[in-house]
Amino acid sequence: MDTKYKHITEEKLDLPSQFPPLPSMGGYVLFAGIVRDINEGRQVTHLEYEAYSEMANQMIATIIKDAFQNWDLEFADCIHRLGKLGLGDVAVIVNTGAVHRDEAYKANRYIIDRVKHEVPIWKKEYYVDGSSEWSKGCAHDHQH
Amino acid sequence: MKIQLLSFAALKEFFPSKQDLSLEGINTVSDLKSYLLGLKPDAEKLIKISRISVNQTIAKDSDLITEGAIVALLPPSSGG
Repeated sequence: MDTKYKHITEEKLDLPSQFPPLPSMGGYVLFAGIVRDINEGRQVTHLEYEAYSEMANQMIATIIKDAFQNWDLEFADCIHRLGKLGLGDVAVIVNTGAVHRDEAYKANRYIIDRVKHEVPIWKKEYYVDGSSEWSKGCAHDHQH
Repeated sequence: MKIQLLSFAALKEFFPSKQDLSLEGINTVSDLKSYLLGLKPDAEKLIKISRISVNQTIAKDSDLITEGAIVALLPPSSGG
């Protein structure tokens, strides 16, 4: 089990039910990455995520630290789930809070983009026809 | 030189997820990539776009691999 890691878990992810208790926080942004039913036109039944957990956990911690250096944040966190996930399951959560909304939005986008492109986490997609394939991921820098 | 080599995701179709290797004449990340390409030519495309970490730090091709290092082959990330 990878539950010893702060940013990587095999447990089901639940959305936070309350905000962090920070009196100066005027804006809070929650991003959830959700398992969807289609990839490149093919019907997906479920996914599996794996990671180089020690490294992924450390890299996400560094990305969050960088976000705190780039913006005046009150709060930032990110957690990614591993293992078998069904349609509609939450794969990743990024939540950020700041005095004003602008910084919370920008920092949130920054964190999820870096997590997707840099952190050693991989997705295997399983299709209705019984086949499966590792997602090709992103080998190049671009926006999407 | 002995190292431990970890492979992830699609690279596990070519290499074991964890293996101990005894290497001769391999000093850098680049040397190791060439060695692995020699073992599995079919993995060339994937190895070329993968990153390599040495002791959990992303390494450049010119970085040295040292005795006892834990080296990991990291295909392009697809988390999120």
